[in-house]
Amino acid sequence: MVNSNQDALAIIFPNSYDNEVPALVNERLMASIPFASRYRIIDFLLSSLVNCGIDNISVIVRKNYRSLMRHLGTGREWDLSRKNGGLNIVPPYAEKTIKVYNGRVEALASIVEFLKIQKEKYVIISDANIVANFDFNAMLDTHKETGADVTIAYKEEPIPYGFMNLQATSTTDLYYTLSLEEGRVNEIQINPKEYGPQNFSMNIYLIERELLIREIEKASASGSVFFERDILSSQLDTLKVYGYKYDGYTSRISDMLSYFNENMRLLDNDNLEALFGHAPIYTKIRDDNPTRYIGKARVKNTMVADGCVIEGEVENCILFRGVKIGKGAVVRNSIIMQDTTIMGNADIDYVITDKEVTIGSGKELKGNASFPVFVPAYKEMI
Amino acid sequence: MAKEMIAMILAGGQGSRLYALTQNLAKPAVPFGGKYRIIDFPLSNCVNSGIDTVGILTQYQPLVLNEYIGNGQPWDLDRLYGGVHVLPPYQQASGSDWYKGTANAIYQNLSFINRYDPQYVIILSGDQICKQDYNDFLRFHKENGAEFSVAVMEVPWDEASRFGLMVTDSDGRITEFQEKPKQPKSNLASMGIYIFNRDILEKYLREDEANPNSSNDFGNDIIPSLLRDNRKMYAYRFNGYWKDVGTISSLWEANMEIMDPEHSGINLFDEDWKIYSRNSGLPGHKIGTEAVIENSMITDGCRIDGSVKHSILFAGVKVESGAQVQDAVIMGNTVIKSGAKVSHCIIAENAVIGENAVVGAMPDDGETGVATVGPGVEIGKGAVIGPKAMVNNHVKDGDSQW
Repeated sequence: MVNSNQDALAIIFPNSYDNEVPALVNERLMASIPFASRYRIIDFLLSSLVNCGIDNISVIVRKNYRSLMRHLGTGREWDLSRKNGGLNIVPPYAEKTIKVYNGRVEALASIVEFLKIQKEKYVIISDANIVANFDFNAMLDTHKETGADVTIAYKEEPIPYGFMNLQATSTTDLYYTLSLEEGRVNEIQINPKEYGPQNFSMNIYLIERELLIREIEKASASGSVFFERDILSSQLDTLKVYGYKYDGYTSRISDMLSYFNENMRLLDNDNLEALFGHAPIYTKIRDDNPTRYIGKARVKNTMVADGCVIEGEVENCILFRGVKIGKGAVVRNSIIMQDTTIMGNADIDYVITDKEVTIGSGKELKGNASFPVFVPAYKEMI
Repeated sequence: MAKEMIAMILAGGQGSRLYALTQNLAKPAVPFGGKYRIIDFPLSNCVNSGIDTVGILTQYQPLVLNEYIGNGQPWDLDRLYGGVHVLPPYQQASGSDWYKGTANAIYQNLSFINRYDPQYVIILSGDQICKQDYNDFLRFHKENGAEFSVAVMEVPWDEASRFGLMVTDSDGRITEFQEKPKQPKSNLASMGIYIFNRDILEKYLREDEANPNSSNDFGNDIIPSLLRDNRKMYAYRFNGYWKDVGTISSLWEANMEIMDPEHSGINLFDEDWKIYSRNSGLPGHKIGTEAVIENSMITDGCRIDGSVKHSILFAGVKVESGAQVQDAVIMGNTVIKSGAKVSHCIIAENAVIGENAVVGAMPDDGETGVATVGPGVEIGKGAVIGPKAMVNNHVKDGDSQW
């Protein structure tokens, strides 16, 4: 942990790739999807930034942001309730004709005046669909060493199945891979359909604030929408755009199945250590009591948050805060989100329950490894 | 603006009978119940009762307690006007003094109390486990037109002589106070929780301070003076769970009792009366494939691969595979190595119990003591710690301590 980092501010796009997980974002957005038993996806990004001393963070929300605002509050739990900088949630302007931005350029254009009066030299731009305990200072150092105008973090990994299904012409939620020559990006592929490991962009960008302002004003005047397509891709010969290879642990949420699998991967202690081991991840505090195991509850290979009461049998599961598992219930291979109740003798396998679901006693609900059953929030199956 | 009632928590106690646990921290800062410290109980009771101004009187080893309380935010006591304040002894123009007794501690902070111009002051103890609505107590105080009220518990007659007892008339008015008498005339034990009218409190504290022969203690000096002057003093009967956790065995017992809310009467799972605490910030706990868990309470950051029965594990505890934990209280970040057997004991924070070591024994082996291992202590491989031992230094491989 370092002291306050005067060098960089951050801008987060919490709605990116919402369309890939429609069921999970019915009443929320990508950034506020529950993950890893007690967190929301954005907690990892905010904590990573704060752990690097970056404490001027703007979150440009687009829609369905009420749950995110409830979660973030004043930002105090991430130490972002600050006099200077801190957390800044930017909702769409409610003008006569309410405008909701489509691409990053429009969104950034709406905060250009804000950017102009900031003091930090650099801007970090990031989506919130990737879970990582990311070292932004290492990226910043690399950016300075290479003398880049723009640095893009990427991970060498295959394009996920969920993205492969996107229409090549889709204008929502574009994804990008990079062609590199000695670290410099010489081509950005938009929605490619290649198999095998790619230089897959994490959509984490580092750019000098004044350059960003210039480029946004220019692009905005010409009606451009997408930062990557309209600013970066078309100027690779004049702008020095570099790739920054990230080798740390990541979980990228690209569809419901990847959400399921990425949670389950954390049941491996090595993965748990890789994600949480080196710097703390902060989240909203609920003041739950410790989890209580009653009688001979049988629990194996499971991650459990506080506030649960477990009387039944649980195996290979992720339990969020305040989950109740009744006597005789059998819950396997499932993700049970906060305040869900599984009543006695229910039998559950390969299920994702959203928050505050009730599964009645004796009910049976079974999916399979490639298609877990999803139960939406507040649903009562009695 | 005046506050109706403010609270003063006496938190200066050394807790000498908790020896191994209170070498470096005051008794109210002793961890309790998986994710709490003892002081969370009076603090949460205050907030849940609508009291937003609290003074915490510290003296002995205040560092951990100070840091823990911080600005009071975890208890919602970071207020513009009021909030929680840690009040150590301080230097005055007339000289400086340690707190000489419970009454003197409050006396030295009369100016703090007067800043808020309260009608009533509630004096609380920082070393009790209890969920209590102080509004009910205040209502009782007002309805009786009392100048001083004390919360009391009915105790069995044969144990009464261990307590400070309030003898009352049929209206609940206190007529006599007996401190640990041989011949108890009452079975109403003082809980050490008082409500004073502020003017009465100030008058008696000033008189007490002027008396060079006084021990400056509420029980020994203030209450007898109030009785002598025939003040309107009432005893408020409290029926809920209450435990003074001044000894290792009572601390252990209270921890065991919160695992059994159905019978013990202390329920931490009550959404309407939450106990707040400072959060560890660790991810959820992880139960491994070989683990066995029965009747236990486990919190964030734990990694369990061994067997845990009827025990409380604090944040970040590791129980390796093949280790056995039973009837134990294991505080934060302690590691129980594989093959170790840990039973009927309290193990403080950051301790390491080596492979195949044995700490404590179940009472059915003919012993009844609660073994205690202090913070940061390393118990070597194969070492044996007897059921009555209090261990404050590292124990070498294969050694034993009784």
